[in-house]
Amino acid sequence: MKLIFEKSIKGRDGYSLPRDLFGDIKIEECLPEYTISKDKKLLSEISEVDVVRHFTKLSKLNYGLDDGFYPLGSCTMKYNPKINEKLASLSNFIYAHPLAPEETVQGCMEIIYDLNKLLCEITGMDEYTMAPAAGAHGELAGILIMRKYFIDRGDVRHKMLIPDSAHGTNPASAAMGGFRVVEVKSNEKGTVNLGELAKLMDEDTVGLMLTNPNTVGLYDEGIEEIEKIIHGKGGLLYYDGANLNASLGIIRPGDAGFDVVHLNLHKTFSTPHGGGGPGAGVIGVKKDLIPYLPTPNIAFNPDQKKYYLSDAGEKSIGMIRAFWSNFAVLLKTYAWILSMGPDGLYNTSETSIINANYVLAKLKKYYKPAYDRYCGHECTVTGREYKKYGVKTLDIAKRIMDYGMHPPTIYFPHFEPYAEETIMIEPPESESKEMLDKFIDIMIKISDEATTKPELLTTAPHNTPIRRTNDALAIKRAILTYDDELKLKDELKYQEKDIDF
Amino acid sequence: MRYIPTTEEQKKEMLKKIGVSSFEALIEGVPQNLRLKNKLNIPEAMSESELEDKIYRIAKKNADFYSMKPLIGAGSYRHFIPEAEKFLLQREEFWTCYTPYQPELSQGTLQSIFEYQSYISRLTKMEVIIPSIYDGASATAEAALMSLRLTHKNKIIVSNLLHPHYRETIKTYLTPHETEIIDLPYKNGLVDMDKLKILIEEDVASIIIQSPNFFGGIENMAKISEIVHSKSILLINVITESMSLGILKAPGEMGADIVAGNAQSFGMDLNYGGPYNAYLGTRKQYIRQIPGRIVGETVDVDGKRVFVMTLRAREQDIRREKATSNICTNHNLNVLAANIFLSLMGTEGLYQISLLNTKSAHYLENLLLQTGKFERVFDCPFYNEFLLKSKDDISSINKKLLENNFVPPLKICEFYQEKNLNNVLLFAVTEVLSRDNLNLVAKILSE
Repeated sequence: MKLIFEKSIKGRDGYSLPRDLFGDIKIEECLPEYTISKDKKLLSEISEVDVVRHFTKLSKLNYGLDDGFYPLGSCTMKYNPKINEKLASLSNFIYAHPLAPEETVQGCMEIIYDLNKLLCEITGMDEYTMAPAAGAHGELAGILIMRKYFIDRGDVRHKMLIPDSAHGTNPASAAMGGFRVVEVKSNEKGTVNLGELAKLMDEDTVGLMLTNPNTVGLYDEGIEEIEKIIHGKGGLLYYDGANLNASLGIIRPGDAGFDVVHLNLHKTFSTPHGGGGPGAGVIGVKKDLIPYLPTPNIAFNPDQKKYYLSDAGEKSIGMIRAFWSNFAVLLKTYAWILSMGPDGLYNTSETSIINANYVLAKLKKYYKPAYDRYCGHECTVTGREYKKYGVKTLDIAKRIMDYGMHPPTIYFPHFEPYAEETIMIEPPESESKEMLDKFIDIMIKISDEATTKPELLTTAPHNTPIRRTNDALAIKRAILTYDDELKLKDELKYQEKDIDF
Repeated sequence: MRYIPTTEEQKKEMLKKIGVSSFEALIEGVPQNLRLKNKLNIPEAMSESELEDKIYRIAKKNADFYSMKPLIGAGSYRHFIPEAEKFLLQREEFWTCYTPYQPELSQGTLQSIFEYQSYISRLTKMEVIIPSIYDGASATAEAALMSLRLTHKNKIIVSNLLHPHYRETIKTYLTPHETEIIDLPYKNGLVDMDKLKILIEEDVASIIIQSPNFFGGIENMAKISEIVHSKSILLINVITESMSLGILKAPGEMGADIVAGNAQSFGMDLNYGGPYNAYLGTRKQYIRQIPGRIVGETVDVDGKRVFVMTLRAREQDIRREKATSNICTNHNLNVLAANIFLSLMGTEGLYQISLLNTKSAHYLENLLLQTGKFERVFDCPFYNEFLLKSKDDISSINKKLLENNFVPPLKICEFYQEKNLNNVLLFAVTEVLSRDNLNLVAKILSE
């Protein structure tokens, strides 16, 4: 589609500003010459109506959750309630300045404070920080908390255990937190190999980062043993909450012995993904770790009946961002929990687990499961049976698009020999049985196509706004701005139909 | 439950198809003694109208911010946001979708990011733009980490006039690396150039300067760059008020190697501190060490010009512990907001807001000085924020302003304990304050 710059016409405008009533103020008297830009910075020149049409057209090149099934594994693409958006747009919230006097932002503080309590109850933790902006941001904060905890005890440790099935953010965060990452292999059942874990865990290891159910969608039945192994050597257990959608009202990470928990509020707690954020990656800790939480937190003074920003004190890891939290995301989370209540939360996990097992049961004849056992809220199958027809999992995913759905997560997790050519399907509780049946039918049809007309898959998608992209060329050319493109204009030679579709 | 379509009857049917007699059989892997015995102790479900009532009631406990005019900035600025932007942001195709891993179904998000990279590149005059880090503070910390990777050194210099939250965040991020962080003091409201000359040594990786700085002063970045680049040190230019780029010289023109900018002013609400967004800008030669996601142009099999996430080999999902950063989910919807905002403003609009903000801030400063109740603390050029020392007690001043529907300016002593900054206020002015509003402020404070 044409870029906004290619629609620009000199002299056109789309802005509306108050009349400049400061004619008596001369800019040259305000700013010394060396600070002022010689030319106006060239953006684009477009009317409001054309901006609206440009972005409306762009939106139609996207596929959103309200368009249909979006079964990305480990992403929990559940319905984003509309009322929550309205509540998050109330003027008393959106115009609240983070440094406004405390007495003017008591409403914001009450929500943050209450949400903290609710999340403690839901996960069995003692206190949360609302500061982290995303899951990985929470991981980093959690890891820094673990680090500081050990340093304060004079027990400096250098290693972090991470299962081979973990999200890439886990090892990346551990490395940012200054730890050496030690990988723990999965066993033949897809969960943590306890023997190996016991061998790897030592007194130079801060602990284990675990996703439960893990990224293959399997509950770690060895969780009690894992807890003993890690705590037995004085380590701490970190819970990656990406898959909490399988646990609400069933099991709480706090009760299972986890010391630090991060939650992706944009996954389990229904806040929209926004094409890659903003989310929130709040972290909860057990009592002993509370002093290490990032500063500040929001506290309540019962005598004055007032909420206030409370400095976390000397042991705190410090600040991890400017201001306090992704407040708008917290508000939507709060609204979702209140809408669901305890029964709704249980129903959420129960339904998502039934959904995933239903899909697995119906598909396993056609796509070999990575592990043939009941799963949590997501199931992992593989496309390796079709390799002999020249069909890769990528081709299967692209073909799903032709049938009007978003493909599941592919090639993750990846570890041999079980989890390769993986297709990780997460059908959250907001998907109906009819939708699952439709998806299952499509998947079965594609499996048939893979054996009879493989070229239909290898050349897919056919019905999407664009088709397969040349990713290697993107790296080679490194066109990262419109000005980069202009410099290569002669070489590129796009025809009208290539840019105006 | 309105968000869960499956009926109890259907659940039974599905369990039968799975081949189990009850849900219990599916969660065998969860040890019995760890299971919750009782229902979660949280409030029972609310209907939509009850929920709305409750949240409206809580919202009332905040001030009626819509009708209040802000005199505070300090890293978060209330600007006017066109309704067209808010309307477009509500399109579900943008806000319900995931990170654009599948370009065939995500061209809307991808092209928008590419356009935004192009805008910010022109505004900052930097070649490469990483569009989305969580916020200005975390972006600055990522910039610092990037400078350590690029130089293989472990010492940085940080201006004391960098936003205090940003300074704290850098400290937190760098703790595990045991980086030496040296404080660069200020003089007369700007970076102390003499101290700078003394502090720069070959073992320094980078120097981090905010301009306009936390006190509002515009630093002489060209001069700073000249000093810094006399050694092989990277210059990181931080911007908390990106709207200033409409009129001020671009960091890229003044020798910045890395730019970290808070983009909140480009069409993002205050939202009590988040979510905002920040960009990083740098030179192409440093591209292998950039953190986070970036979008590039390529073609599809039909030869169409299309956009994809690119240079992905640096990222956590591929490189794991060797990644340049752990960042995954970022603030892409805010990138879209900023892109729409900049598209609506255009070349002229951005310049005009920037101009208006400069003029009205100077107008207010002048008015307040004329009351005889304030004096300047420093004599340096500023954009839209400035410090004034009050002869009256600043707490009572702020109380008066609050009573008159102004969100009061920041008491700078909350962040700086120097004696001469006692009883000093940091004012910020944007286009949401009219000339009448500013006259009223001066009138209130002259009484």
